Amino acid sequence: MLDAFFYFIQQVINGLTIGSTYALIAIGYTMVYGIIGMINFAHGEVYMIGTYIAFVVITGMTMLGVEYVPLILACALLIAIIVSSSFGWAIERTAYRPLRGANRLIPLISAIGMSIFLQNYVVLAQGSRDVAIPPMVSGGWNFGSETFQASLSYMQLLIFVATFISMTSLTLFITKSRMGRACRAVAEDIKMANLLGINTNQVISYTFVIGASLAAVAGLLLGLYYGVANPHIGFIAGLKAFTAAVLGGIGSIPGAMLGGIILGLTESMTAAYISSEWKDAVSFGLLVLILLFKPTGLLGKQEVEKV
Amino acid sequence: MNSTKTLSKLGMGLLLAGAAAFTHAETIKIALAGPVTGPVAQYGDMQMIGAKMAIEKINEAGGVNGKQLEGVVYDDACDPKQAVAVANKIVNDGISFVVGHLCSSSTQPASDVYEDEGILMVTAASTSPDITTRGHEMVFRTIGLDSHQGPVAGTYIADKVKPKTVAIIHDKQQYGEGIATAVKETLESKGIQVAMFEGITSGDKDFSSLIAKLQKTKVDFVYYGGYHPELGLILRQSAEKGLTAKFMGPEGVGNKDINAIAGDASEGLLVTLPPSFDANPANKDLVASFKAKEQDPSGAFVLTAYSAVQVMADAMKATNSTDTNVIQKELRNATYNTPTGKLVFDEKGDLKEFNFVVYNWKADGSKTLAQ
Repeated sequence: MLDAFFYFIQQVINGLTIGSTYALIAIGYTMVYGIIGMINFAHGEVYMIGTYIAFVVITGMTMLGVEYVPLILACALLIAIIVSSSFGWAIERTAYRPLRGANRLIPLISAIGMSIFLQNYVVLAQGSRDVAIPPMVSGGWNFGSETFQASLSYMQLLIFVATFISMTSLTLFITKSRMGRACRAVAEDIKMANLLGINTNQVISYTFVIGASLAAVAGLLLGLYYGVANPHIGFIAGLKAFTAAVLGGIGSIPGAMLGGIILGLTESMTAAYISSEWKDAVSFGLLVLILLFKPTGLLGKQEVEKV
Repeated sequence: MNSTKTLSKLGMGLLLAGAAAFTHAETIKIALAGPVTGPVAQYGDMQMIGAKMAIEKINEAGGVNGKQLEGVVYDDACDPKQAVAVANKIVNDGISFVVGHLCSSSTQPASDVYEDEGILMVTAASTSPDITTRGHEMVFRTIGLDSHQGPVAGTYIADKVKPKTVAIIHDKQQYGEGIATAVKETLESKGIQVAMFEGITSGDKDFSSLIAKLQKTKVDFVYYGGYHPELGLILRQSAEKGLTAKFMGPEGVGNKDINAIAGDASEGLLVTLPPSFDANPANKDLVASFKAKEQDPSGAFVLTAYSAVQVMADAMKATNSTDTNVIQKELRNATYNTPTGKLVFDEKGDLKEFNFVVYNWKADGSKTLAQ
């Protein structure tokens, strides 16, 4: 009985861990959609690049003899955010801005092209095999009964804390800052915002940069958690995060957070009580169900037909 | 970096072939199909260096029926869809001999194309039994079958390890699930019940839920059917979570990449592999030739690929023909002396005899025979 309880707790921890990182990536999809009404299919690749940059920095600093882990992680985080944001910014400049005002399908295709380009660029630059780093953050707390020990590792704790900080600062930024207000205005009505003197191009650039920075945070965290990366990880992660964004209501930031957590928990509970092979089937089945009964997603708002 | 190396080698090969073209009017082309890129490219490497070495040695000894052999590399990235595209490309390029493919799930769809077009295919690595059970005449292999490998693993587990609770995990692919099922059947026939038989998704990275389940079931032995990227992560995450079970896998996990992924957690992993042909004294000169080129002949598929090229060439010599229909009949009738031993093919195109052995994998990438 007690075993079953601790087993459940363990699976909740596992689900929250993976769900938090889905949420971080999902923000990028949902913000871009909220503002320009388009899906940035190259977003998963930004996450992948974030992981690679973090790996390069970690390996580089370890080779230079730096042993203080928090310093290495801070540098890796900073550089990953800077590089990934530049990629986010560049994607917007090359694949979206020249096509602003064109038929909606066209930027969609250019984003897919961008995704293929970035993936192959990393394949050529880094090789297509798995690259690995040794565990950086090890240890954790064990608790539970004598027969089943549940554990919360420091790495998982780090993921919770980092996700929480990122989400809180994003919420503060959107609700309190001048730029955040501009973002909300553009999301509401891009033409009107333009008329009122908001530099909408700049707002859109900011959106891509913010999404990319959060993807870089996720890239570093998941990179540390798994210790392994390859140029193809962006596809699956992007797909899952996109699902999370749709689940929570695409365009809604709290929705992306909620969607990520729900998706993570569903996956871990399915793996725990049904079978790992049903993990994806159940999560996507849940998505279909939610969209059937609530087409805008959990927290999505009804789109008012603009005249 | 690796791809440029392969490219430069390919370039060298082309140069050599070009030089040979002056003395011999034409060459016999052999397609070398397998993953040059992608997550299991390391196995593709093994196959390519083995096959290329065989082509080089045969050409040095005067070629086949007065003609030189020429290897042409095709990349299927271990992707079934790409494998069919590669097979069609080979048809269009007018090549009648193929060494490959590597992943069973690629070999099977590609072999249908080869059979229809009368192209002779010898795989050096695909172990799924289904490949040769469909009555194809053009399909051969120089390696054993999952139905041989599974019982070796199962017998070893039952007789030597004697675990209390066994779990079998597989990646739901043709190769992984096939071999996992074979192990399960062997264990059950020996009276050991399998407590968990579960699939994961290939390409997945998070196994924490699965590991918690293994811990809850109190598993002390895990057999994994699949390739190294997933098992590497399972080992690594199990070590972090404090799961102390012993792990075992098929030859698809036995390469040095698993050490890079799992680190120290790969120490003590049990792997069924073809015997170390490179340790056989009869292959001393050949091993030296590989070493001279800074290539590693110890990879599981290097010498099986060498044998694949050699049996084709020997059959061409014996029949003085390049007609694949004549050659497939010859292959079924003759015995071949190769670096991987005396090879005899049965009616299906499988080897009549091929032994797998159990190795203890070390954290530094070396292996020792498990007792």
